Amino acid sequence: MNVDSSAVVRDRLAHYNRDPGMVLQMLRDIQLAQNVIRPSDIRILSESLNMPRAKIKALIDFYSFLHDSPRGRYDIYFSDSITDHMLGSRERAAQLCAALGVELGVPNADGLVSVALTSCTGLCERGPAVLVNGTAIDRVDEARVAEMAKLIKHNVPLMEWPLEWFVINDALRRKGPLLDSHMRKGEAVERAIEVGSHQVIAELKASGLRGCGGAGFPTWRKWDICRSTHTEQRYVVCNADEGEPGTFKDRALLNTYARHVFEGMTVCGLAIGASQGYLYLRHEYEFLRERLERRLERRREVNLLGRNILGHHGINFDIEIVMGAGSYVCGEESALIESMEGKRGIPRIRPPFPVTHGYKGLPTVVNNVETFCYATGIVARGPEFVAHDGSEPCWKLLSISGDCRSPGIYEVPLGTTIREVTEMCGADDVQAIQVGGPGGLLISTDELDRVLSFDDLNTAGSFIIFDGSRDLLEVALNFTKFFKHESCGFCTPCRVGTKLMVAMADKIADGHGARVDVEQMQRLHHLMTQASHCGLGQRAAVPILTTYEKFPESINRRIGDAEYKPAFDVEAAIERSRQIVAEESKS
Amino acid sequence: MSGRIRIDGVSIPFADGQTVIQAAYDAGVHIPHLCYHPDYAANGSCKLCTCQIDGRQVSSCTTKATDGMVVESNTEELNSERRALTQLLFVEGNHHCPSCEASGNCELQNQAYRLGMTALIFPDFTAGRATDATHPDILLNRDRCIYCELCVRASRDTDGKDIFCISGRSENKSLAINSDNGMLDESGLTVDDAAANVCPVGAIIKKRQGFRKPIGQRDYDARQVTHNKVRLPEIKTPLVKAPGEKVTVATCSLAGCFGCHMSFLDIDERIIQLAERVSFDRSPINDIKHISGPVDIGLVEGGVCNTENIETLREFRDNCGILISVGACAMDGGVPALRNGLDVRDLLEESYINGRGIENPQIPVDRELPYILEKVSPIHEVVKVDFFLPGCPPPADAFWQILTDIVDGRQPDLPYDLLQFD
Repeated sequence: MNVDSSAVVRDRLAHYNRDPGMVLQMLRDIQLAQNVIRPSDIRILSESLNMPRAKIKALIDFYSFLHDSPRGRYDIYFSDSITDHMLGSRERAAQLCAALGVELGVPNADGLVSVALTSCTGLCERGPAVLVNGTAIDRVDEARVAEMAKLIKHNVPLMEWPLEWFVINDALRRKGPLLDSHMRKGEAVERAIEVGSHQVIAELKASGLRGCGGAGFPTWRKWDICRSTHTEQRYVVCNADEGEPGTFKDRALLNTYARHVFEGMTVCGLAIGASQGYLYLRHEYEFLRERLERRLERRREVNLLGRNILGHHGINFDIEIVMGAGSYVCGEESALIESMEGKRGIPRIRPPFPVTHGYKGLPTVVNNVETFCYATGIVARGPEFVAHDGSEPCWKLLSISGDCRSPGIYEVPLGTTIREVTEMCGADDVQAIQVGGPGGLLISTDELDRVLSFDDLNTAGSFIIFDGSRDLLEVALNFTKFFKHESCGFCTPCRVGTKLMVAMADKIADGHGARVDVEQMQRLHHLMTQASHCGLGQRAAVPILTTYEKFPESINRRIGDAEYKPAFDVEAAIERSRQIVAEESKS
Repeated sequence: MSGRIRIDGVSIPFADGQTVIQAAYDAGVHIPHLCYHPDYAANGSCKLCTCQIDGRQVSSCTTKATDGMVVESNTEELNSERRALTQLLFVEGNHHCPSCEASGNCELQNQAYRLGMTALIFPDFTAGRATDATHPDILLNRDRCIYCELCVRASRDTDGKDIFCISGRSENKSLAINSDNGMLDESGLTVDDAAANVCPVGAIIKKRQGFRKPIGQRDYDARQVTHNKVRLPEIKTPLVKAPGEKVTVATCSLAGCFGCHMSFLDIDERIIQLAERVSFDRSPINDIKHISGPVDIGLVEGGVCNTENIETLREFRDNCGILISVGACAMDGGVPALRNGLDVRDLLEESYINGRGIENPQIPVDRELPYILEKVSPIHEVVKVDFFLPGCPPPADAFWQILTDIVDGRQPDLPYDLLQFD
């Protein structure tokens, strides 16, 4: 790919009006255009944006999908989520590497291709999934890998690859009020303008809607607090950084229910008095971006976005899409805002919370994709939109993947039991279920009567089902490594703790573990829970320790009754010396 | 809003806008910390200042004081968490006090003292980060960086130069320099800059100024005593001896300098008292080369650097009821561990081929010689260790204390002023 580097950089600089706050967007575009960010690119950016080079380099080193050493012209990432593993991703990655004669993680010498692993790409129910030059391909089976290797060897441009590979469908298995709602374009916006912001917030309150990202903060309160701030400018941010492994409902909503998302953001803007909204879309969902941009454009054409919305003087609101660049922590709202501002995604010190001090220091409502969708329904149709038999006020979208017959999206009322969920999706041989992703809870079959609710099992909706054949320590290890990889490294307990957790869990998995390692992990977990800066560090050791608590056999059978076993490997430690002695003996 | 808060039961005032640690600092109440500095905005990353505030554990450097706030800081639970955080930082970087220019003036070491850290219980990472020696007057040793970001803040807020920034994430986090070549020499940093003077550890140091003050007169040599004794792990089965029966002790030095043994001999005439109660098995004191059978106590000095060390160490572990890791090298590899991160071939070539005054240069290949290990390891990574006696060397009184405690059947504790890292 012979791209004139400086032309790409200058084009991006112009596109983003040389705004230093957009540096991350520029870097991402440059990376996708030329597979590398060169020192010369950094120099031009640095001079044009008046930003130290080291700060630009710091961004490249922080975000997974930015690189200052060249990736292949075909830059391929296999999703390394446990759900992809279960569908054979590791084998497929090995197959592709072998077919192309390339080592995992290392671009080949002629710069044709690089194959690497990445954190969950959000195609959990249709894995193994890969990203090729930023674009997603699902269901990568043996035949597809063989075909892919051929296309790459023959230098076939991505645009000419089989079209059906790029069609990502949504398995909408069970529809509730949201998935079943056929909203007329502008329906919620019209009604919001008609009834006014007080009424919008009152109806949200009456509906009982709470944030669907996992924290469950009452939506109306967030909007109300933001609205009550004394300032000229406020912002609406839609958190579409769906990085929790096993979660893909936001992907489906953005794919099929974008109208609800944008309408919800607009309604929020009207309610809180914001004129600008941002959709922060994770890098892995690049394949959704173009269509979303087109939909925004159409909404502008019919004056549902822009100035004087639907002809109402002084009601202005527009939406921009901001892309992530590969960082799980950015799903945390304050880290997301940092990232939007073009910085490394480090969670801020809270309080103050974004609702009073958010994007550019101004009051900002950050809500999850799903929350905005439900808000759209509620504002358009009233609080009854989410009423269910008059008793359960709220619904939840579940992302179900793993060992079941019908993985996909299920819209269920809160109050549903885990048992009902397993029956719905056809999970016949349940050993355990990871609810809420790696940071959530591992549920054993003793707990199938627990219910989805804010009081019992509060979750962002991810269900990963493991049948009797799965090794739960392998699962926990995958999650533990995920947290280490994604730790932003800001605070001591998380940065060092996640690394030690992986070392100790690996030691156990390798058969060198002992009682003392488990005790050590428990003490470290306590420290990480108490002292970490954000939820990542607080939850990072939960998978391995919950596995030990609920499925002790998965760990005990590896450690036996040993009280202490060293990790020290004598053979590995003398390998180098042996080599030297052998070399010297020859000469 | 101003008012009063209570820290560990003591009421102190605070001024409008002050955080808990600022109020404590002004009132002369010490809350352990590393990344906090009164001159700069809080960073909140080291987490050492975590306190129990109104029932929740939060960083006291980022929590604003409010009237009537109840803060617990000096509790066993919090200090034990802080000790663990200190241990995490010690194993994450290369913090070998005896060979560090900042020893005695190092806030990390100071906290290890204050919190009574005796052992590094976690596996050592052996950081291998790039050192920057390009500046004529200032050296950046990234292996000792604890990411407190004080230099970042000082350079940005005081010097107005914005020379440092944090790059990367997780284990690939690093301290980066804003200059055209990414190095200190082109950064514009000068020795008088606040950023060159604020580093609480030995990461940013001035050249030609190491070990300037003699031991005893350095900043943290006069230690703030927060407790009288450092608690050591509990002995589950105390030694029981028949009247007249002596406790048997074996000692050895692996990759060490025998300095710990010399310090042991500094118990001077008390060795006669000891000899009445103790008989020595293998030890350089009597030149016995192998342990003759089970002994009660083993003292091991030095780290593990070759296969012979492993054999000796395992022999000790198999035969000693209580195994004590003695001195900095046994505890973290110490001075010999400075070679960690260098290729074994480079080491051998330096020693046997390129070094000065070598005749008949060749790398020895005799298979009778022990193999050199890839890196020098602390002994507790190879065998189980019961007690740690830190120091370079540990003071004679520390040997006396731990041995007499065990011989008398007492739970050993280390008098606080005998805790030593260099």
